[in-house]
Amino acid sequence: MSEIKAKLRSEIERLLKDRFVDVFIAFKKADAPLRPQPAFFRNTNELDDLEYNGLCQNNLANYLTRYPKDTKIGIVVRGCESRSVNALVVEKQHPRENLYMIGIPCQGIVDIRKIFNRVGEEVANYSEFQDEVSVVFKGEQIKFPRKEVLHDSCLRCVHPNPINPDILLGDPVPEGDPSIVRQSVESFQALDKEKRYALFRQEAERCIRCYACREACPMCYCTECFVDHATPRWTETSISPAGTQAWHLIRAFHMAGRCTSCGACERACPMDIKLTYLTDKLNEDMLATYQFEAGMDDTTQPPFASFNLDDKNRFVV
Amino acid sequence: MIYILEKKKLDQTLQDWSSKYEVIAPQFVDGVLQFHPVHPNSELALNESINTRYPPKSLFLPQSEVMLRYNPKSNQLEDVKVLPEERIILGIRPCDAYAVTLLDTVFITEENSDPYWLARRSSTIIVGLGCNNPHSTCFCTTVGNGPFNHEGMDALMTEMDDVYFIEPFSDKGDALFSGLPIASEEEQLKVKRHQTQVTESMTIAFETENLKQTLDNLFDTDFWGKISESCLGCGVCTFLCPTCFCFDIVDEVQRNERVRNWDTCMFRIYSQEASGHNPRPTRAERTRQRLMHKYSYLPDQIGKIGCTGCGRCVRYCPVGLDIRAMLRAASDFESEVIHAG
Repeated sequence: MSEIKAKLRSEIERLLKDRFVDVFIAFKKADAPLRPQPAFFRNTNELDDLEYNGLCQNNLANYLTRYPKDTKIGIVVRGCESRSVNALVVEKQHPRENLYMIGIPCQGIVDIRKIFNRVGEEVANYSEFQDEVSVVFKGEQIKFPRKEVLHDSCLRCVHPNPINPDILLGDPVPEGDPSIVRQSVESFQALDKEKRYALFRQEAERCIRCYACREACPMCYCTECFVDHATPRWTETSISPAGTQAWHLIRAFHMAGRCTSCGACERACPMDIKLTYLTDKLNEDMLATYQFEAGMDDTTQPPFASFNLDDKNRFVV
Repeated sequence: MIYILEKKKLDQTLQDWSSKYEVIAPQFVDGVLQFHPVHPNSELALNESINTRYPPKSLFLPQSEVMLRYNPKSNQLEDVKVLPEERIILGIRPCDAYAVTLLDTVFITEENSDPYWLARRSSTIIVGLGCNNPHSTCFCTTVGNGPFNHEGMDALMTEMDDVYFIEPFSDKGDALFSGLPIASEEEQLKVKRHQTQVTESMTIAFETENLKQTLDNLFDTDFWGKISESCLGCGVCTFLCPTCFCFDIVDEVQRNERVRNWDTCMFRIYSQEASGHNPRPTRAERTRQRLMHKYSYLPDQIGKIGCTGCGRCVRYCPVGLDIRAMLRAASDFESEVIHAG
């Protein structure tokens, strides 16, 4: 058991024993190979199943909105997840006092598809040590530098350290370099209009409307999504160009000032569709225009959700 | 009868077919393995141990199908007819070919048959490919299928060394390959031995004997809430499933089209009623529906399990839910909770 997992386990044990939380949201060992699952611990005797490694690919903040607001929830968070939790607290989805965040500085989520692409899908026995991850393929151990198999969102991560956790396990890691995000946004922006649209179509029109991106996103908690609205219908629900493009555009715009660049949407997509090139651009606009990054504290309203009576744009009020 | 097709002659065979048929085979398109029409420069991906990600049911039941068009000028409705080319689906795996036969029971009935399904079915020759290296997420033998089963196929190819051994199972299949050399008795034995060996190497993932009864017993328990706690409620498992067939018919008014789209019981709105009432209000009931449809209701209706063990739902679930583990848990839950009292 890794050192950090041992620390995490004893901390969760303490919280559950003292009845400090009703449920603790973390990961448990995989049923399917290399797929640790989100897990909901209520008793200390369940903790043998606890898992924590680079393959834990979901954003656990996603589950906060499923509980009544008086539930005392414990949750393990990495940088992006802590920001999602904060953003949800700002949006009044769960009171901060009923949350206990155990923060772990993040070394980045391993994109299992990058490993599959390099060695084949029949890999087993994942392990990681410091900057290296290894898998077994047909009886042979294959090692990778962790950086080479990180998810793209994690390669661009600016805030790997949890923001505002109740307790931090492990030593902080260096903050990311914002210019790396800018590079990817700029390379998209640098394309001419036709090429940008071609890229957008290439991604959006492969969509199969399974909405895994929506369901994997902590900020997509609407009871009724606009695509599910029947009267009126806001968009086509077929896999037509109009339908898929509308879904991808409007989904992205609903994320403005709320997305924490965790990349859970891309990791959930069964068709390997790129989604973050849109949200990263919106995030950068929010930063440039309003000096705002989602979830950096648990009180500041995102610019598009706030208003005040003195707004210089009179039409707002 | 088993024919021999040397691998190096596959290209020529494809070319010969292409004058008469549209050939569709697994290929990597945008990095995703899926069935795609074969063109002269196509690179076929027949050697992958993994199945296509997007299921070939889409070749018979497209995800979005235009059923009729309204012509605003003439103020008339225009029927949209399916007039598919004669085609060959090459390299479909036994789980997916078998799935097509399960879907036949839905779309072809004595009282009523689906014209779109029928048209595509009757114009298609299915040439399957047996699985030499079943993936660890595959469980076809558990659900009464197998890596060399030929149900739903006109012919089955078994790859060994540098040849494909081809067993035809219909006149159409026989006609496609009848010009090829015939395998010797010794070779035929070798093929059968190989098929048996691979089949027997697969482990049984869960018991199916009393499964229907077990699930029925669990209907009103909190088992479903337990196993669906991490479920996102997305449509990955059902859309990628080769046997899920639910659809929704919508009017895309801006295009004047009536379209039939895949739908899924995992979505909240699937069972949402106009009154606002939802008989399957949470992911627990929806998960119950998905599992019980395959393992209880279809066995009731057609005497067969509605899952072919292809493993797609296991491989692509964004939260790593594994239907095999769910079904094992069902038996455990029954013996622990129900029988214990």
